[in-house]
Amino acid sequence: MSTLPARNLEPILAVVAKLAAPFDLTTMLSEVVDAAKQVLKVARGTVWLYDREADELVLRFAEDIPPLRIPAGTGLVGSCARTRKLINVPDCYSDPRFDPAMDKRLGFRTRCMLTLPLIDHRDELVGVMQVLNKPEGVFDASDEALATVLAAQCAVALQRVRMTEALIQGEKMRQQLEMARVVQMSTLPAAMPQLAGYDLFGTFRPADLTGGDTFDVALIDQGVLLVLGDATGHGIGPALSVTQMQAMLRMAFRMGADLETAFVQVNNQLAEVLPGDRFITAFIGLLDTAAHRVRFHSGGQGPILHYKAGTGAYIHHMPTSFPLAAMAMRRLEEPAVALQMDPGDVLAVVSDGIFEYRDAAGVEFGERRLLDVVRAHHKASMAELAARIFEAVAEFSRGAPQEDDMTIVLVKRSARPGVSRSFRRRLEAIEDIVAFTAEAFASEGIEAGARPAVDLALEELFTNVVKYGKSGANVTVEIARVAGGAEVTLVEDDAERFDPTRAPVIDTKAPLEERHPGGLGLHLVHKLVDAIEYRYLDEIRQGRTSFRKTMADGQKGDKK
Amino acid sequence: MLAIDFGAEGVVVISGRLDAAQSPAAQAFLDAVNGPFVLDCTRLEYISSAGLGVLLKTQKRLMASNARLKLTGLSRHLRDIFQYSGFDRIFEIEPADPE
Repeated sequence: MSTLPARNLEPILAVVAKLAAPFDLTTMLSEVVDAAKQVLKVARGTVWLYDREADELVLRFAEDIPPLRIPAGTGLVGSCARTRKLINVPDCYSDPRFDPAMDKRLGFRTRCMLTLPLIDHRDELVGVMQVLNKPEGVFDASDEALATVLAAQCAVALQRVRMTEALIQGEKMRQQLEMARVVQMSTLPAAMPQLAGYDLFGTFRPADLTGGDTFDVALIDQGVLLVLGDATGHGIGPALSVTQMQAMLRMAFRMGADLETAFVQVNNQLAEVLPGDRFITAFIGLLDTAAHRVRFHSGGQGPILHYKAGTGAYIHHMPTSFPLAAMAMRRLEEPAVALQMDPGDVLAVVSDGIFEYRDAAGVEFGERRLLDVVRAHHKASMAELAARIFEAVAEFSRGAPQEDDMTIVLVKRSARPGVSRSFRRRLEAIEDIVAFTAEAFASEGIEAGARPAVDLALEELFTNVVKYGKSGANVTVEIARVAGGAEVTLVEDDAERFDPTRAPVIDTKAPLEERHPGGLGLHLVHKLVDAIEYRYLDEIRQGRTSFRKTMADGQKGDKK
Repeated sequence: MLAIDFGAEGVVVISGRLDAAQSPAAQAFLDAVNGPFVLDCTRLEYISSAGLGVLLKTQKRLMASNARLKLTGLSRHLRDIFQYSGFDRIFEIEPADPE
């Protein structure tokens, strides 16, 4: 590079000072062009910006005119961008690289032209500057040197503005996301419904910027509404779509919709408004606290875990439908799942932000670990169980970042005080049942006078179950202390409906040959216990016979 | 990485990982395929919700002209994903080969 004459320094310093001011690209571009015109004393100048992703050079005009784009490598501008070298053309119309289209468009004739790469201090191409038509003669070595110095300054200034604009864009995006988050959070229930015999808890831990989870736990006319939703994708969209879904569901139920209608209508509405590749996986359930039953539909949300306190086993439920908004539907193809909440049972619905939380090595938290936490802490309050789940995830991930929202909805039916044990369905188990009853009476401090009646009633009921029920399934006996005696329940899984309380009342005075052999035992049971009740739960094919035996004050013998 | 291309007899063969990063490329390819077609997933190792979105969008487009997408060669794991997400109800999935 040739040395610069000292007299040229002053105007350069003046324009460089001006280049420090602008913060938006449009102003900066015109400042750069002005600087070039001033320093090189020419009438016209142009600055092309380099679009690295497209590998194109972009010439911006006014806001409402689309920019002109040319591929790097094409024409004088493109060649300059490719070679990153100054090109000095004394007569443009004799240079094959020159494209006269622009001249025609502007009614102008380009004579001589300097084309310079704009390269910033990190050696990256920012754009290409062109100055044309030196008033007298053509551009010489001194002009080249001057233009090169100016170009370096312009490149740095332009790059600074581009970065500032990117930062501002990022900040705008961040603010929008934050806003979407606020909307998303504001629709979550502020407090959990407090219901006798149930412990309900829902919680939501947002990931830093992305994710689209929601939940709802609310007492409505149809029961206790339980919702967990997870919209696909990242950014503002999913956060707003789940919020939309939740509002639609509340509205549908408020207008009296049943579970199926609400599911179908909200699905169809969402299918209409969401983009074609978006969907929301959602669990939508209604808890009936009187029947101790949860009916639900799940659009792609799963697995849904039902912890059975009686056996310590889990029941995994699969989705009943595809995700909401995936496609419009006339009706649901499958019936809702109904699950029976027995004392101590826990229903756990969690979003995949938990199952799929990955540690540094990429291993997922997974279902197994979740099951272990629920099993270990099912007796704790549901708020505590949720905290334990988060704790377990944190311990597992060891600081690996949270990439997705984590949401938990937990339902527990309070465990009835008392003890329970399961037995094989065969007559030999009677001995074990008697031993268990003795243990239970001792451990629960139950009035011993009630023992003979309980033993007999249990044996009669159990024998009936062995005779008439299907073999294989277990029978569970639950014994709890009540004032002055015991409450006992015989739970028969995989059972046919058979109501012992409606067994024909036998006529003890009838001749022997007219009596049904099974009738006598039940007759005795009816006579001996205070109250007996039978319930059959169709959905899970479970029979439950409960009876109560209490002693009158101070009475030690049989009451009846 | 993901690869998607035409195989024999107009079957579209997809292999690798169909995740959020690879979805746009897969979408661009599938957007250009018309009429009912078979997607051979024998060498598809992984699919995420973004990938399911790609297949969903394609299925919707085909259904508008009464065509459908058929998936073949799904691994046990991928079959589970379709089942867990309820998407087995949206796509025709070729039954597993008895092994």
